[in-house]
Amino acid sequence: MSFLLLFLDELKGYAKSKVMIVLWFGLPLLSFLIHFIQPETEDFPISFLVVLLVASIGGTLSAIMLSTSIVNEKNRHVYELFLIRPVKRYNLLLAKFFAVFLCLIIAILISLIGGLLIDIITIGFPENYLNSIFDSLIISMSSMAITCSIGIFIGVLVSSVAVAAILAVYLGGQLSSVIILPTFFIPGLDPEMLALILGISISTILMGINILLFNRMQF
Amino acid sequence: MISMALNRKKEINIAPQKTDLSNGDTLIEFRNVSKKYKSLLALDNISFKIQKGEVFGYIGPNGAGKTTTIKILVGLIRDYLGEVYVDGKNITINRDDFHHLIGYHPQEAGFQEWRTVDHAFRTFGRLSGLSKLQVEHRTNEILNILNLLDARYKKIVHLSSGMFQKLRLGQALLHEPEILVLDEPLSGLDPSSRFQFKNIIKKLAKSGITILFSSHILSDVQDIADRIGIINYGQIMKIGTPEDLQSSFNIGNIIQIEVAENTAFCKGLEDLKNVEYIEKVRSNIQLIHLKSDIDVDLVINLILNKFIEQKCKIRNFNLVKPSLEDVYLKYVGGGTF
Repeated sequence: MSFLLLFLDELKGYAKSKVMIVLWFGLPLLSFLIHFIQPETEDFPISFLVVLLVASIGGTLSAIMLSTSIVNEKNRHVYELFLIRPVKRYNLLLAKFFAVFLCLIIAILISLIGGLLIDIITIGFPENYLNSIFDSLIISMSSMAITCSIGIFIGVLVSSVAVAAILAVYLGGQLSSVIILPTFFIPGLDPEMLALILGISISTILMGINILLFNRMQF
Repeated sequence: MISMALNRKKEINIAPQKTDLSNGDTLIEFRNVSKKYKSLLALDNISFKIQKGEVFGYIGPNGAGKTTTIKILVGLIRDYLGEVYVDGKNITINRDDFHHLIGYHPQEAGFQEWRTVDHAFRTFGRLSGLSKLQVEHRTNEILNILNLLDARYKKIVHLSSGMFQKLRLGQALLHEPEILVLDEPLSGLDPSSRFQFKNIIKKLAKSGITILFSSHILSDVQDIADRIGIINYGQIMKIGTPEDLQSSFNIGNIIQIEVAENTAFCKGLEDLKNVEYIEKVRSNIQLIHLKSDIDVDLVINLILNKFIEQKCKIRNFNLVKPSLEDVYLKYVGGGTF
């Protein structure tokens, strides 16, 4: 019960603070611009590019959003008012995780639909379209689950917004690509399956650590 | 200092007489509670009880351990030594049961910058377990009590500090708690907001709610509190009703004498037995400081005899007891701010 309330509250916060608008309009716009500015991508279906681009920016963004908002809220003593109520501490973190995750997935879907429409108009419906879109969606979602949990980890540990943002840029984007690395070295691995397994297991472990750390904190 | 003492005395006299709580049930009990932050011992084996319906003033200088005590009670600090009971039950066992009982006005807590007053009440009310309808009803009620109806849809970051403080109190009242814990609720308020805020607290106290009220300023609590606990260096130095505290404090009594304007004071008073010294505070007011541990009535008789002998024109004759401020300064040492 309190998870759902907290989750909706986080989403409301992102809507009110205009984070959603920036993500949902900004991300697709950015990827379309890149497509039309860079000539070498012209023959390449825009929808593929969009998913890759948005997912890699999205990973860094999710780490920054989570880490800075947690540091900011810690410093403003926002959590005190939550924790004096029958709210489990892990629900606070889980609500944040899923709210950011959902916001970014929606941003990717919007970009994708936009990209698809442009593709259909310019080069027609691409071959194997649905398959490859589905594959790249799985990979980007898995990597974003990891960056979200890294963002929370930084937020829980660090006490300066600037340090949190810097660490999120360093770690967020880079570490998320770890999940597809093994496929380069070990032939025959199914990249999507691997990404899914690694994504779920790494983010679960990280979130477990985050919850333990958060439970031990004093407010 | 002395004129301050005189003013205090008046204030104490007009304070409403509270009902006798000696037979009340214990609602909150701290039993041998200690808390250490790394090398700092914030609470050093404190024990005290708060009765149901009581207003307990918890005073001490900054850094004395007030906020630590309060955070243990509301569940924000979980690792401490000793036991805390609310309504006879240990609060570590089923914490969620106690969240419903306690409303907490934190000293510093803030709100996310996107929140309006209305959003804050909705979120916190729902998290406290109220239904949507109840939240709506309570929000109206509380905003009305706190005189905040105009601010309902304003962003919290745009509120004045007085309104912000009221909002902190408001969120604590949402779920109609039995215990209200106020951590320095008056700090940073201007005099008129202090007055308003104190009136609100007095009204709440009358409704039967149990209040733990911390402050580093004695005058904030002395006319509201049924009992006062003085804490310093993590230890409870003294607990009692304001009257108890005063009478426990044995400093030499002072007699204030006012004579008619432009007339002379009585002569020879300083030679009386048991008079320590005489201090002139205004052209027609003098203070006679008596030695401690003496029969005050005897001295008063001697002084009155002098008046009659010399036909002094007395306008006021008053025995001044030590003020609560004196008691407080005695226990906190006066130099720890």
